[in-house]
Amino acid sequence: MNFFFHIAVIFLVLIITSKTYAQNQIVADLSQENVKISTDFQGAKILLFGAYDGKKGDDIIVIVTGPKGLVTVQKKDKILGVWVNTKKVNYINAPKYLSISSNRKIEDILNKKTQKISEIGLNNLNVRIQPGIKVENEKQWRQALTRNMLKSNLWSINENSVSLNKDALFRSFLELPSNVITGQFEVKILHYRNSKLVSQQINSINVSKSGISAGIYSIAQNYSTLYGIFAVFLAVLVGWGSNLIFRKV
Amino acid sequence: MYYYILRNNDENLMYIYLPIAEQPIHSLAVLGVGAFLGLIMGLVGVGGGFLLTPIMMFLGIPPPVAVASVANQLVAPSVSGVLSHWKRSNVDFKMGTVLLVGGVAGSSIGVLLFNFLGKIGQLDFVIKSSYVIFLTLIGSLMFVESLKLILSTKRGKVSRGKLHQHNWLHGLPFKIRFRKSKLYISILLPILIGVIVGILAALMGIGGGFIIVPAMIYLLGMPTSLVVGTSLFQIIFVAANTTILQASQNQTVDIVLAIILLLGSVVGVQVGSRFTNVLKGEYLRLILSSIIILVSLKLLIDLITVPSDLFSIIISR
Repeated sequence: MNFFFHIAVIFLVLIITSKTYAQNQIVADLSQENVKISTDFQGAKILLFGAYDGKKGDDIIVIVTGPKGLVTVQKKDKILGVWVNTKKVNYINAPKYLSISSNRKIEDILNKKTQKISEIGLNNLNVRIQPGIKVENEKQWRQALTRNMLKSNLWSINENSVSLNKDALFRSFLELPSNVITGQFEVKILHYRNSKLVSQQINSINVSKSGISAGIYSIAQNYSTLYGIFAVFLAVLVGWGSNLIFRKV
Repeated sequence: MYYYILRNNDENLMYIYLPIAEQPIHSLAVLGVGAFLGLIMGLVGVGGGFLLTPIMMFLGIPPPVAVASVANQLVAPSVSGVLSHWKRSNVDFKMGTVLLVGGVAGSSIGVLLFNFLGKIGQLDFVIKSSYVIFLTLIGSLMFVESLKLILSTKRGKVSRGKLHQHNWLHGLPFKIRFRKSKLYISILLPILIGVIVGILAALMGIGGGFIIVPAMIYLLGMPTSLVVGTSLFQIIFVAANTTILQASQNQTVDIVLAIILLLGSVVGVQVGSRFTNVLKGEYLRLILSSIIILVSLKLLIDLITVPSDLFSIIISR
């Protein structure tokens, strides 16, 4: 009895899993999972590719989210003829990188309500203002955040950038700008059929400093006084050296 | 094929990623700027930091990093300059030491102020507006002075100003004798000058030569032959102190940026100083002052025109 029960459970699990795997699976991979910021870094272009079990009319949305943290929005006012920052609002959990890519216009894939619920789209992000601060005209600040993040290339909307092939393969280029922040990036691939999520997969990209650049950065952060002394020493050496060299020339 | 697309653009190999500024920059552009300013320094004797920092900001380096890294690079030409002035015995070490005591104190205050301004979000504004004020002042003074000189030499007469004037400042207490400079003045005066220049140096990423040199001539009444060497001597310590404090307090010293600037300026200075006798000083000063006025004008326009977006963002790292 016990034995048969076990067999039955295993069988059941197998059926369920195999069915979901076979039918609604999405498999994706990245050309590069570790992005190294070294002295020649000018941004990275990563190829995301994979296979999905699609039907005609299916859609794919790819959302890449970088580390979240503090982003401050400042506003300038004219004081005595010059423009000075006077007010600021802190957003405590703003993604410092965000790209939303899709095979066609997102509004054609999902209606406004679904977009809002699944937090897809720049205006549907759940970014919070630092508690305890009263903000007038919150919408204006929120729009300023989006506008400036888009301008710095750290946020982007790339509709029509996911290419689908025979309802089975997809690929998309993910671009990380040169001013990208280090950390763990989440790559979420969403497969929609008639506005319903059929399957999804999450990959990740790790962006880190490497080589000399990483070394200098970490020394500057962790041994900052020593770093300063070394910087001065180096400059003294160059100054003294140039004096020696050019005297002989 | 994909591999080809995925590779970073090879034609941009000249770009170098700055580890502290956290952005790539064209290395030839920085090298060129360094060389150009070194050339001016060698030719005219002034013009290091106070042009370098604004130009770095124009190139897109964040002002805090520009200020701190330029302070670092200034150490080198100052060392090199002092060594050659020392050989000609043009340095008053006693006066220099008194000045640098004030300078080190001043630059420490400056870095604290820098830190505070950064916290309240007014750093960029203060740096830029102090540049507008000082560059306009220095630029126009230099312009008028060199124009006068050119006109008077054309007329065939050279006017001479008074060198050593006594005023109430010389009446302050704690008098001390500076044998080399042939001065008997209050020690408070050079210390105070050092403090003020130190604060400005830390805030603006300058050596302060363009402030301290006139101050030494007109306020202290030092012999002009000693002024440049002595001011360079004190600048070494002010710039070094600023660099170390900026590094330890704000982590804004970009050593890669400083080194590229250094290499350019070191060569520029030497080339420039070799041509000093070929080109006429007053014409050079006229050109330099025009550049300074243009730079301050650009900064001023940035401050007074309506920004394209009233809002801006700071992404904390």
